[in-house]
Amino acid sequence: MDEEEGSTSTYDRVVELVNQATLMQKDVQKIGNLRQVQELIVHKEPGLLDNFLEEMLAFQSDKGNEVRKFIVSFIEEACKKEPDLLGKCMPCLQVLLQDENVNVQKKTILVLPNIYRTIVWWLIKSKPGNDEEKSFVWESMKAMKNKMYELIDSENDGIRTHVVKFFEGYVLALSRKTSESEVPKGMTPEKALTLDDIPNEHKFLKLKRLEEEGAKGFDIMLRFQASPHISSINLMTVMGSITTIAKQRPDYFSKVVQAFEALQVNLPPTLAKSQVSSVRKNLKMHMLSLLRHPASQDYIPQITTLLTDLGATNSEVMKSMPKIDESRKRKA
Amino acid sequence: MGVEMRVAVVCSSNQNRSMEAHSFLSKRGYRVRSFGTGNQVKLPGPSLDKPNIYDFNTTYDEMYKDLLRKDPELYTQNGILHMLDRNRRIKPKPERFQSCKDKFEVVITCEERVYDQLLEDMETREKDDMNPVHIINIDIQDNHEEATIGAFLICDLVSMLSESDDLDNDIDEILQDFEPRCQRTILHTVNFY
Repeated sequence: MDEEEGSTSTYDRVVELVNQATLMQKDVQKIGNLRQVQELIVHKEPGLLDNFLEEMLAFQSDKGNEVRKFIVSFIEEACKKEPDLLGKCMPCLQVLLQDENVNVQKKTILVLPNIYRTIVWWLIKSKPGNDEEKSFVWESMKAMKNKMYELIDSENDGIRTHVVKFFEGYVLALSRKTSESEVPKGMTPEKALTLDDIPNEHKFLKLKRLEEEGAKGFDIMLRFQASPHISSINLMTVMGSITTIAKQRPDYFSKVVQAFEALQVNLPPTLAKSQVSSVRKNLKMHMLSLLRHPASQDYIPQITTLLTDLGATNSEVMKSMPKIDESRKRKA
Repeated sequence: MGVEMRVAVVCSSNQNRSMEAHSFLSKRGYRVRSFGTGNQVKLPGPSLDKPNIYDFNTTYDEMYKDLLRKDPELYTQNGILHMLDRNRRIKPKPERFQSCKDKFEVVITCEERVYDQLLEDMETREKDDMNPVHIINIDIQDNHEEATIGAFLICDLVSMLSESDDLDNDIDEILQDFEPRCQRTILHTVNFY
């Protein structure tokens, strides 16, 4: 099959799949078709992505919640492949963030850290010019980020959980790596964005400002963790998130250890007995994983005391002791 | 839930507690899978210090035939052959949770040690789209009677969870309601794939 013929047939196939999807009654079938379209236009023939973007985005007003959730992940994939589509996709994401269905809202919150990174890379790498569109995309992202500061106080517990995950990604992007930063499995260059990648002089990305924004995001998480009526689920989510941040951004290590020390003596009074057990178990797991990190060397007394209070055995603690690094020892 | 909730039930060897619940839940039409978290599959042997040990690649049918050959009377009398026969009708062989790449909305473990092993595994996994998974432990002793009671309890809980349209928001309350009913301490946490 020559290339042109292949392309025409993919084109026709996509048209057919989209048309069928419009008429289908069941969400599962509809998503099945749209998933095939995504595979064809994002991966097989990205040249067709722009052609069919509007047809796909039209499903953002489908009555099926699952269909709209799928469109959120389609937007994420499409923009990752072709960041020039951000301008067309951002308004849809803003609408989906305000969706009447809470599961669609949560899905949108979950993709925001990736969208944020895609946007920042796009602004760093793209050629000068086209400022109007860049400004539009950046301002839309800022509006959604500001919305996260509101939603951390949402009445819905699940929304708050998801907002914490947003801040985790946001703070990781807006902080610096050190030689002791842990690199999580499956780290891709796009995901690895840090402040070090952002140029000093940039029309839209103001380094100093972004650094402050990252620190502010982190403070929000700490404040959230210390709020007296936090639910056990949210508490455990934020504990996991700040542990991840401490391991990947050791500059925050000391603040995280302090926050856990404060938490241990002051667990929210609203937790039921079994929730306290779950939280303490989680805290112990995170403290052991912090202890295993090389940056723990300056905090060993605090961490081991905390672990003993949490019921860790001596052998558990010893097993997780960091290996003493000669260069650090000399420094000390 | 909007989509059918995907549930996993997990014990140590994927033989008794998780399989009893698997059998029970699938009969009620839930979308369920079962796993073990142990390194090996252990079944009772002629004495406490002589268990039968298999790896996770051995099929239930092979174990059945092996025990039938070793001591048909003992393994009929203690119910192991009956259990293996039930298991081989459900799926070919035990599965290890740590080797499974599929995602679930709810994972229910049957023992605190299994819950710990599972959390440890989740921590070391590669994360991608960050979907939440609720992990819940209900202690169930590893014998036939308790496994049956446990399967009832798990089924009860799964039916309560599956009625929620907004699980992340409702789960705390559901578990608070469920705990006195089952009269066991529940551990619960959320993790992200």
